[in-house]
Amino acid sequence: MGIRFDSVTVAYDGNVVLDSLDLTVEPGEVMALLGPSGSGKTTALRAVAGFARPASGRVYLGGEDVTDLPPYRRGIGMVVQSYALFPHLRVDENVAFGLRARRTPKDEVRRRVTEALELTGMSGYARRHPRELSGGQQQRVAIARALAIRPRVLLLDEPLSALDTRLRSGMLAELARLHRELPEVSMLYVTHDQVEALTLADRIAVMDTARLRACGTPKELYRAPADAFTASFVGGANLVPVTVTAQGASFAGTELELDTAGVVAGARATLCVRPHLVGLGEGPNRLVGTVREIQWRGATHRLYVEVDGHTVMADVRELKDPPGYGDQVTLSFEPEDAVLLPAGVSHG
Amino acid sequence: MAEAVESPRVARGWSRGSPRPFGALAWALPPVVALALFFLYPLALVVRQSFRPDTGGTSLRPYADVFASEGFRHALWTTVWLAPASTAGCLVLGFLLALVIAFVPFPGAKAVARFIDVYLSFPSFLITLALLFVYGGTGIVGSFQFLTTPWGVLLAEVTYFTPFVMRPLLAAFAQLDTAQLEAAGSLGARAPRIVRQVILPEALPALAAGGSLVLVLCLNEFGIVLFTGAKGVTTLPTLVYGKAILESDYPGACAVAVVNVLISVGLYGLYRVVSRRAGA
Amino acid sequence: MLVHSRKARWAVWAVFLVLFLPLFALPLLVVLGASAATHWSGALPSGPTLDHYRAATRGEALQALTTSLVTAVAASLLALTAGTWAALAGAALTKRHRRVLDALFVLPVAVPSVVVGLAVLVAFSQPPLLLNGTRWIVITAHTVLVTAFAHQSVSAALTRLDPAYEQAAASLGARPARVLFRVRLPLLLPSLTAAAGLCFALSMGELSATMMLYPPDWTPLPVLVYAATDRGALFTGSAAAVVLMAATLLVLFAVSRVRTRASYR
Repeated sequence: MGIRFDSVTVAYDGNVVLDSLDLTVEPGEVMALLGPSGSGKTTALRAVAGFARPASGRVYLGGEDVTDLPPYRRGIGMVVQSYALFPHLRVDENVAFGLRARRTPKDEVRRRVTEALELTGMSGYARRHPRELSGGQQQRVAIARALAIRPRVLLLDEPLSALDTRLRSGMLAELARLHRELPEVSMLYVTHDQVEALTLADRIAVMDTARLRACGTPKELYRAPADAFTASFVGGANLVPVTVTAQGASFAGTELELDTAGVVAGARATLCVRPHLVGLGEGPNRLVGTVREIQWRGATHRLYVEVDGHTVMADVRELKDPPGYGDQVTLSFEPEDAVLLPAGVSHG
Repeated sequence: MAEAVESPRVARGWSRGSPRPFGALAWALPPVVALALFFLYPLALVVRQSFRPDTGGTSLRPYADVFASEGFRHALWTTVWLAPASTAGCLVLGFLLALVIAFVPFPGAKAVARFIDVYLSFPSFLITLALLFVYGGTGIVGSFQFLTTPWGVLLAEVTYFTPFVMRPLLAAFAQLDTAQLEAAGSLGARAPRIVRQVILPEALPALAAGGSLVLVLCLNEFGIVLFTGAKGVTTLPTLVYGKAILESDYPGACAVAVVNVLISVGLYGLYRVVSRRAGA
Repeated sequence: MLVHSRKARWAVWAVFLVLFLPLFALPLLVVLGASAATHWSGALPSGPTLDHYRAATRGEALQALTTSLVTAVAASLLALTAGTWAALAGAALTKRHRRVLDALFVLPVAVPSVVVGLAVLVAFSQPPLLLNGTRWIVITAHTVLVTAFAHQSVSAALTRLDPAYEQAAASLGARPARVLFRVRLPLLLPSLTAAAGLCFALSMGELSATMMLYPPDWTPLPVLVYAATDRGALFTGSAAAVVLMAATLLVLFAVSRVRTRASYR
C-alpha cells in the first residue's frame, strides 16, 4: 500500500514547517526522507501518522484520503527515536497493545505476538519490562510492536539515532532483512544520516527548509545530483563556481574538459566532483593548489587543497609519503566524473 | 449530547497543536460546574450576605460597622505585618538550612530532607501545642507571657512554614549542576561569593514560588493563632471565626471574609502575574 | 563541596543543628513526651503514663479518629477525581482557556480556609442543597480545599508526560478512551498516588474550615485536640495529636508503598 502527499502544507503558529509537499511512495517501497533538522521531514511523517494536521493538501494511504481520519483509524505502524515503549507493560503486552485495541481474539493475539517477537529476534524477552532491556533490544521491541498490527505502512522516525555507532550498522542490516521478509510493507524512513538513507532506501527524498529539494534513487542522487544542496548532503561533494565554455568550463584560469550538454556557453555554474574521484597527480583535468590540511583516515588520506581561494577535497589511497602543509600539489579528475549544477550557494 | 461526547475524542487524537476547541471545552465543563457549585457559588453568597445586615435591606452597613470597630483594625494590622514578617523569616531560614543540606552535606542529610517532607504533612496547630509546653503557663522555659504576644505567633509560623520554602529549594538545588560550583571554585571564588553569584540566582524562582505560597498561607493561617488561646492576638481569619461562630454576626463575618479574600487573592494573583512575566 | 576546610564545615553543621533541632525536632519531641506524662514543670516531663493514650483510643476520641479518616479518604478521592478530570481536560484546551481553568482551580488555595468554611456554611444552610448538620458539609468543605492541590500536582505531572506515549498508542489503533485508561492514567499513577497522599494529609489536619461547620455528631480529631487544649487538658490533647500524626503517617506510608510498586513495574 502506497502513500501519496498531494501538496501538503503544515504550519504551526503561522510558521510553515512543511511547504506544499508532493511525493508518492509506491507500495512495498522504502522511501527515505533525508534532510537536516528543521527541514520538515519529521512533519511529513507526522502528517501521514495523523499527528500533524495539514493546513492544506491531502494525504492518501493506498488511494484512500486519510487527511481527516484520526491516527487510530489509519492502520499505520510507527517507530520513533525514543521508542516510546510503555514502561508499565511487559514486552509481550507492549507488542499485544495494538492487537488488543482492535479486540483481536486471544489466540490470535498470542500467535501474532510470538510471530512479531521471533521476526525481531526478541522471543527470549517476552516477560521483561522495557527498563530491563538495552537500547538495541528496546528498538527491536518497538519494531515488533509496530509490525504486530500488520500495518499497511511502517513509519520510522530517526529510529537509529539513539543507538551507538556499532549497534547502528547492525540494526541497519536488520531493517534491510525485515524489508526483504515483508516486501509488501511500504516504509517511510526519516533520517538526517545519509549512510542510513543510501543503505536502506529504494528512493531518497532530500528535504531542506520545509521543501522537497530532490527525489530519486540513491544512485541517481549520488551520480547526478540536481542541485548543490543535494550533492553536498548526499555523499559530500566539492562544489566550486565555474564559467561554462564551448569545450567545458573554466575555473581559476584553467580550462576543464567536461560534458556541457544542455548548458549555454558563458553561463555561470557550479562544478560538482566527489572527493574520492579526485586523484593526486597528472590527469586530464588538472588543478594546481596548496595543501592546507591533511587528515589520515586509515585506508585513505584526505587532502584539503586551496585552489584560487576555493578548497578542493581529495580522498586518495593511503600515501607512503604524503605531501606536507603548504606544499604545491596537482590534483586531477576524469571529465565523466564531474557534473555541472546550476550556480548557487553551496550548503556543504 | 452524543456529539459533545464524541468530538473531543477526535480532538485529543489530534496533535496538541490543534485541539478542536469546542469538544475540549465540553470535557472541561463538568469539573468547572462542580467548582462553581461548591466553591464559587458559596463565595458569591458570602459577598451577598456581607451587604445584608441583620436589620434587613441591602446596605454597606456591615462594612461600616466592621471598619469602625477597633478589633477589626487591630486584626487587619496584625495580619498585614505578621504575614510578610513570617515569610521573610521562612525565606532566610529555609535558604540557609537548604543550603547546608544540599551543599555541605553531612551523614544523615538525606534523612533530614525526608523528615522535612513528613513535617509538611502535620497540621499547623501541632507547633503551637508544643510551644504551649515550652513557653506556656507551666512551661519549660517559664511562664513569661511570650506565647500570647504576636511574637509567639511569629515564631510558630516561621517554624511551621519554613519547610514549605525548603522543599522547592531542595528540588532546585538538586538540579543545579555541581560542575558550575566547581568551575566557580576553581576560578578562585570563595563560598559566600559562590552562594551569591551562582546559587542564589538559580534559586530565585524556587524562592519566589515558596515565598509567595508561604505568604498566602500565613495570611490565611488559623490553627496556630487559635491554639495560642491569646485574646491579644487576632488576625482576620480568627476574626471571621469569632464573628460567625461566637457572636453569630454573619453579615459582619462575611464583610471581614471579603476583605481577607481580597487581600489574599490580590497578592496571589499579583504573584502569578509577576512570576509569569519573570519566568515563562 | 562548597566549604572545603574541615573546621569551617563543622562550624556550618553546628549552626545547622542549633537552628534545626530547637525549631523542628523539639516541637515534635515535646508533644511526644507530653503525651506520655502527667506533669511537666521542670526541664523534662515526669510521671510516665499511658492513660492519655488509653483515653485517646476509645470512646469519643476513637470516634473522632474514624470521623477524620472517613472524611479524609472521601475528600481525597473526590478531590483526586475532580482534580484529575480538570487537569486532563485542561491539557486538551487551547493555551488561553487552559490559563482560565488553572486560575479557577488554584483559587481555593488563595482563599483563606476559614472563608471557605464560612462560604460552604452559608451556602448549604439554605435550600436548594441543605447539608448543614450532616457529615457531608464537612466532606464538601475538605474536598473544595484539597482539590486545588490535586489539580496542581496532576497538571504538573501531565506536562512532564512525554506525548510520544499517547501518540504511539494512537498509532497502534487505540481510541482516546483506551489511551487514557491503558496508557496515560497508568503512567500518571505515581503522581496520582502522591497527590492522593497530599490531599489525605491536608484533610486529616484541617482545622480552620472544620471549626466553622462541623456538626456535633461528626467531630474530626483536630477539633477534639483543640477542645482538649482549650479546656486546659494539654496532655490528653497531645496524646490525641500523636494519634492523629501516627494515623496520617501510617496511611502515607501505605500510599508510598503503592507508589513504589507502581513506578517499578
